[in-house]
Amino acid sequence: MDFDPSPEQRQRAASIRTAAGGLPRPERGTPAGRDLWEAAGKIGVTGLCLPADCGGGGLGALDTALALEAFRAGGADTGHSFGIAAHLLACGTVLAEHAHEPVRAELLRGLAAGTTIAANAMTEDEAGSDLSRLATTAVADGDSYVLNGVKSFVSNGPLADVVVTYAVTSPEAGYLGLSVFAVRTGSPGFRAGPALDKAGLAGCAAARVEFAGCRVPRSHLIGSEGQGSAIFQGSMAWERACLPAIYLGAMQEQLDQCLAHCRQRRQFGRRIGDFQAVAHRLATMRRRLESSRLLLYRACWLIDRDSPGAGEAVALAKVAVTEAAIANGVDAARLSGAQGYLAGAGVGSHLQDAVPLHIFSGTTDIQQEIIARGMGL
Amino acid sequence: MTAMQEREEIAAKLLAFIRNSFLAGDPQGELTGDTPLLALGILNSLNTATLIAYTQEEFGVKVPLHDVSPENFKSVDSLSSMVHERRSTADA
Ligand SMILES: Cc1cc2nc3c(=O)[nH]c(=O)nc-3n(C[C@H](O)[C@H](O)[C@H](O)COP(=O)(O)OP(=O)(O)OC[C@H]3O[C@@H](n4cnc5c(N)ncnc54)[C@H](O)[C@@H]3O)c2cc1C
Repeated sequence: MDFDPSPEQRQRAASIRTAAGGLPRPERGTPAGRDLWEAAGKIGVTGLCLPADCGGGGLGALDTALALEAFRAGGADTGHSFGIAAHLLACGTVLAEHAHEPVRAELLRGLAAGTTIAANAMTEDEAGSDLSRLATTAVADGDSYVLNGVKSFVSNGPLADVVVTYAVTSPEAGYLGLSVFAVRTGSPGFRAGPALDKAGLAGCAAARVEFAGCRVPRSHLIGSEGQGSAIFQGSMAWERACLPAIYLGAMQEQLDQCLAHCRQRRQFGRRIGDFQAVAHRLATMRRRLESSRLLLYRACWLIDRDSPGAGEAVALAKVAVTEAAIANGVDAARLSGAQGYLAGAGVGSHLQDAVPLHIFSGTTDIQQEIIARGMGL
Repeated sequence: MTAMQEREEIAAKLLAFIRNSFLAGDPQGELTGDTPLLALGILNSLNTATLIAYTQEEFGVKVPLHDVSPENFKSVDSLSSMVHERRSTADA
């Protein structure tokens, strides 16, 4: 058992952290634009786990998580980091493993460089946790498929060049009747709605996306017909495991800021960090961060070993990071006092960005169900 | 044990597992080997993942992505045939 990152992992994390510190941040409350995506591409973040022959870093899950954590810890915006993680983990992994050439290489080169932005479109108004309720259809017609339906929450949707889209091709096959397509957003019949007015993660715009007789060439079917559900579960293992790493970076930044504040802020003639209640709150914040970090690293390590226990480990890690990020967000607000409650202080946005961890990439209740079933319940 | 007996044993275990895990014990005894698991919605995302994990652990077979198909998961009979085939090729 070795808990230390290797010298190579340390060096990669350090250089990404430094580079992230030099990146401009999106204006408060606005999404990262193409310039920021391309800047992230230049430091390799938009291609971390994509194949090296397409310009990616060829990294496994653990190395990808370490790099995403470093990117956020270095000062990158949480919403932008989230958008990049979704592009990489829910879309890039799917294209890399299952798309057919030449579409695969063509798209992946752009994804790795940050010049092609990808979005993942599964969720619909009536199909959230229960994917067997999907209503978007894809019907084969000559050399193409014709897609019809509406996806209700697509991160990166307003900016995307390609949308990895799940649709029903065999209604009689229920949950296993789905197929997945790489839909270019310039295709006739494709329309992304305006950016949704979200409560957090402002650096990543999301939209509803509509397919109205949208024609997609057969070459853009990913994998084969009927493999959509299995492909989606594979991508979710990566997203659930690696994406929360950005929250480890955010929690580290938050803890460092809280420590600095508690060393400097004086009340009753003492530094507030000298009060045991405050010191213990900081100790608890650190324990939550470090324990969830260990679970996340272990989950990624198991994915890299293709271990049968990875699914449960990933669920445990996601729940742990979720609970840690939200509880630490509340504690940071308490420690910061009234000044921290001001919108510009960033304390509130940490919390607003953390709450949706309970929802995306499979809700906390669904993760708990996976853990419970893993114990034979 | 003949191939037929082996397949029947696999099917019996799968039927018992599905009855207990997804159908509250199936008190009316409705589940049979050819009940359409997908068309009736018995296999949703959570149940499919649970069934794959059970199959891998109980029968010692790997269920790779290309085996997670509507043909293989259509019914207990089709799933038993797939498991039996994978075990036979692993033994050979
Ligand atoms: C910030 C953010 C980004 C997102 N980005 C994307 C994206 O890029 N692409 C995309 O396709 N989707 C995206 N989503 C949507 C997300 O995947 C869904 O919101 C999620 O799957 C939950 O679905 P739902 O919102 O319909 O909630 P529901 O499924 O309706 O759940 C509502 C509540 O019921 C509970 N519940 C449901 N079923 C069960 C059960 N069996 N057992 C116990 N509890 C249950 C849930 O846990 C939850 O508390 C995003 C969501 C958010 C918040």
